[in-house]
Amino acid sequence: MSHPVYKDNREFIKALEANNELVTVQQEVDWDLEMGAIVRRVCEKKLAAPYFKKIKDYPGFEALGAPLATYSRLAIAMGMNPKASVPEISDEYVRRTTGNPIPSILVDCKNAPCKENILSGKDADLFKLPGPMVHDGDGGRYLCTWHFVVAKDPDTGMINWGMYRQMVFDEKTMVGPVLPFSDMGKMFYGKYVPRNKPMPFATVIGCDPLSGVAACAPSPIPEDQFTGMLMGKPVELVKCETCDLEVPAHAEIIIEGEVIPNLWIEEAPFGEYTGYRTSPREPRTVYRIKAITYRNQPIITVSNMGIPTDEGQLLRSFSLGLEMRKLLESQGIPITGVYMLPESTHHMVVVGVRPIYSNIATQIANLVFGSKLSPWFQMVIVVDEETDIYNKDEVIHALATKCHPIRGIRKYEHAVGTPLYPFADPEDRKWSRGAQVLFDCTFPLDWPKADLPIKVSFNKVYPKEIQDKVLKNWKNYGFRD
Amino acid sequence: MGTKEYDTFLLTDPMTVPEEQEMDLIVRDLTPVDRRYKYRSAYVTALLSKSESKYPDRLWIRLGRGQLQEKPWSIKIIKELNKFPKGSE
Repeated sequence: MSHPVYKDNREFIKALEANNELVTVQQEVDWDLEMGAIVRRVCEKKLAAPYFKKIKDYPGFEALGAPLATYSRLAIAMGMNPKASVPEISDEYVRRTTGNPIPSILVDCKNAPCKENILSGKDADLFKLPGPMVHDGDGGRYLCTWHFVVAKDPDTGMINWGMYRQMVFDEKTMVGPVLPFSDMGKMFYGKYVPRNKPMPFATVIGCDPLSGVAACAPSPIPEDQFTGMLMGKPVELVKCETCDLEVPAHAEIIIEGEVIPNLWIEEAPFGEYTGYRTSPREPRTVYRIKAITYRNQPIITVSNMGIPTDEGQLLRSFSLGLEMRKLLESQGIPITGVYMLPESTHHMVVVGVRPIYSNIATQIANLVFGSKLSPWFQMVIVVDEETDIYNKDEVIHALATKCHPIRGIRKYEHAVGTPLYPFADPEDRKWSRGAQVLFDCTFPLDWPKADLPIKVSFNKVYPKEIQDKVLKNWKNYGFRD
Repeated sequence: MGTKEYDTFLLTDPMTVPEEQEMDLIVRDLTPVDRRYKYRSAYVTALLSKSESKYPDRLWIRLGRGQLQEKPWSIKIIKELNKFPKGSE
């Protein structure tokens, strides 16, 4: 391990401050819309993360907004140079998360700051925490927007950490969507509900940044071990107070309880990651709480979903794209890279490939649409190796010029979707039905070589010596850059 | 004590909501004594009226995607309901 590792959110905040990626807000802010509005504007302007020191009605609590909404903050979280490029961060992420998982270790309660305060029984009251009203018109206060929920498979003991939004209903109740094809959805609706058994859960708020990254990642590796791989050392966990789950010892706030089978309560609407308030208010999964534990002077984390770019869009795009890269590489597909555009709200992925055989784009689409990653995106753009997948201008150029409007587009019907797709019919949203599409931006291999269009760019249509001469004399011509 | 304010989300056409008869719905408390409890939700049995003055408390109406309607209705809450199974209360 040769990179800095932040064991908690507080060390990460210091690192953000040292790298000019933090604005400390000393003025009191209201949890009722004001804090959300600030975080939203920060996301839209791609500004430094706001660190709120005073929250109205909640003395002693602080909040960190938009903790990972830029690649620069992701690079800092990874212990890398904040100026690292997206391909550099991607390569480092793939390097660290390929190989042997690193199991977590259990620490004693006395070494777990998240146990500094324990509320149970009647004292375990969700309104004692400064859950923000994130957007005007939301169905409730979303205490949990940048967090994760810990759950355990009752048969295999497999642990899942996942980001499932949670809205405060009353003192003891949170509600939120748990889609049946998600990891926790398969556990809860596939195993606990048929047995009519409540599922223990623990919500972790204000974790170290890499645990948050892991909770977003659609990897088959258990997230606690995945965090260890990202950190390069085991993550420290501690036992919960009311169940046999384990949670990060250095997290700010833990909410423990049970997910109730065969009971649904209306949740939403909510400003969602797609940049719209799309999914309907409807009966959703119910969490009843039993205990709250938290650090002294706890810092909640607040993400504000909306138009790009927030951390949900950025990190989900990042990890979805890189899991696709691992999948395609594992199948021996000669890809040059995979990049999911955060601006697409992780709906559109660009795959670069050396098109050495016919219909390779279809093979790529079939693989990624057939994987467990599939419900979260619906557009695949396949480009050849002369297109820089990280350059939006080049991708748009390839899409507009190389993709045949009929032959280049393949539609996939009857796909798994989500209620959050703005383009889906209301009935399809209700039943999580979607559709997908491939844009094949490679030229067919059977075209005569003489008929292949030649890309006209500085790097392509001038001899090397002319390029060198022009670059050498560029400033002499009078240009600055 | 002054008029209390609540809001609710209507998932059907507001014009079809029955008035002056008991119905169950979810309301959010917009004016709690302790401000930390603002937006606390509850299942209640209540009487509703599209007239702002018919019942003692004000009820703001939001549609399914959070759209706030211009004019409030009025509400009389008869009782709070418990929807939770035994053991999870």
